[in-house]
Amino acid sequence: MTPIPDIAISVTGGVVHVRGFLRTASAGRLVTALREATMVSEVVTLDLSECTGMETAAAATAFEATLSGPRASVSFPPGRPELREVFEAFRRLAPPATPPPRPGLLRAHLEGVGADVLAAGDVLHGLWRFAGQSARALLTAVRRPGSFRWSLALYHMEHAGVKAVPIVAMLCWLLGTVLGFQAGYQLKTFGAEIFMPDLLGYSITWEIGPLLAAILVAGRSSSAFAAEIGTMRVRQEVDALEVMGFDVYRFLVAPKVIALVLVMPVLILIADFFGLLGGLLIGGWYLNMPAPVYLSRLHLVMLPIDFYWGILKGLVFAVIIATVGCYMGTRVRGGAAEVGQATTAAVVTSVFLVIVADALISLLYIRIRPTVVV
Amino acid sequence: MTEPILEVRELEGGYGTTRVLRGVSFRVNRGEIVVIAGRSGCGKSTLLRYLLGLARPWAGAVCFEGSDIWADGGQALAAARRKWGVLFQSGALLASFTLLENVLLPLSEFTRLPPPILWRTAMRKLDLVGLAAFAESYPLEVSGGMQKRAGLARALALDPDMVFFDEPSAGLDPVTSAELDDLILTINRTLATTMLIVTHELPSIMAISHRVVMLDATAQGIIAVGSARELGEYSTDPRVTAFFGRTPLAQEAVHHVS
Repeated sequence: MTPIPDIAISVTGGVVHVRGFLRTASAGRLVTALREATMVSEVVTLDLSECTGMETAAAATAFEATLSGPRASVSFPPGRPELREVFEAFRRLAPPATPPPRPGLLRAHLEGVGADVLAAGDVLHGLWRFAGQSARALLTAVRRPGSFRWSLALYHMEHAGVKAVPIVAMLCWLLGTVLGFQAGYQLKTFGAEIFMPDLLGYSITWEIGPLLAAILVAGRSSSAFAAEIGTMRVRQEVDALEVMGFDVYRFLVAPKVIALVLVMPVLILIADFFGLLGGLLIGGWYLNMPAPVYLSRLHLVMLPIDFYWGILKGLVFAVIIATVGCYMGTRVRGGAAEVGQATTAAVVTSVFLVIVADALISLLYIRIRPTVVV
Repeated sequence: MTEPILEVRELEGGYGTTRVLRGVSFRVNRGEIVVIAGRSGCGKSTLLRYLLGLARPWAGAVCFEGSDIWADGGQALAAARRKWGVLFQSGALLASFTLLENVLLPLSEFTRLPPPILWRTAMRKLDLVGLAAFAESYPLEVSGGMQKRAGLARALALDPDMVFFDEPSAGLDPVTSAELDDLILTINRTLATTMLIVTHELPSIMAISHRVVMLDATAQGIIAVGSARELGEYSTDPRVTAFFGRTPLAQEAVHHVS
């Protein structure tokens, strides 16, 4: 095959001759030539009779150039219909319609807020229904434990629970240290350092331990669940399971919920332990409080129900985190971008709902907890 | 003698420690339509990965326009990639972009043309594959055949010298498949685009190929090269005749050959 000859563009009066194959890189020269021709003549012709072909973008440039200024007529090479076809296609394909005028900034903003509220309502409604379906699947699993896939639950227990232990322990220990230091710093002014374990014990077991563990698990596992199920949806794996007759809730959702329900209380106890340990260390170092004093003080003011209540919180949080993560995954319809949005939504929504639930449970707890008189 | 645009020399490769291909050598001439054919598991897709520079062969070379794509730390590969287009099995369109935006993507990335020109070029490509009316649709809103045609429009966006196809007719009905074949022939004729097509669809192979390179798993490489007619009518290799005759291959024949 002969190599494609170089392009030659020449202007004779109002006629622009093109010889050879026009590449996009040389299209600018053609535009300049056409402009030159319009300066010397009223009638401009683009003579392509010796043109052997054009790259599409080059043809588009040439076509656009014949439209601007005085319309240039085009003569096509005889016996080669391709170029004429390309130009005719350009003529046929109307340029994009101008977008409708944008609404005012305020209106657009208000409309956006409205749409977001409706979307949030839609999400909550969907989540509610999803939770119902999951609960049914869970009931079946509990009623007939033999048919439940425990291996899947074990897998998630390892990934969501065991692997989260180091980070939960370390962050709670750090928080316990900081809280102990801050409490001690305030109390020292009044000579009331002895109450530091009271403050720390309550805040760790009631709030910090369960919340921190839940937020970490939400960040690690809620996103993972959403990404897993979302990708399965994109790859039609969920559809495949459904048409094979699987109960998707039982197969995909229940093992995750059960795994989190089982590991979350343990994680919370670990969080409590390391948080209180942080307080013990800072008490000894900063307040000169011997460990036995710290521990006996804790023993005096804390009730077993403080720990049980934290575990109860953990159960609620576990259900929220697993359900929200799975639900956000099932909402994925399109492609990769939606999987990303689903993981974000999973973490944000589960942390939000965890904190709302935490507030409600805490309010209830303050009313029912027996007062300890020391 | 015609000039090869793509040349594969003594290529060897596989997955992990499993060798799939060895001693694979062939060339694709400018303007030619070459089909890489063979049964499932014969290494067609593996070979395509090496040709496209998605993986580095264990041994041997892939040369595009005379230069080894792995020769100078990826520069030759990057240059070659500007000159070829690829149509993936599923179309591989970006789901969050419209068909038009998908076709515009390579144009806006690799050229500095003003938006109206980009738009006209992209629309022309969509028009070429018969999808101008669906420019504003999203990939998930159109059929599988349409996604594939849009993928072809995207592959053609920069007027490539060569287009690679991975199983273009997989999952298409016979009519759509035949239409796609026609489209491939038309583009080859009008734009002189070289085509390398990986497929095992007999009707497509018969309709479009200038030359067929046949791979086989037992041979871990090429067992026959020739026009589809030659291979179908004159080959004596039982693996080739079984493929072209659509008949099950007797086990003794395989043992006999290998």
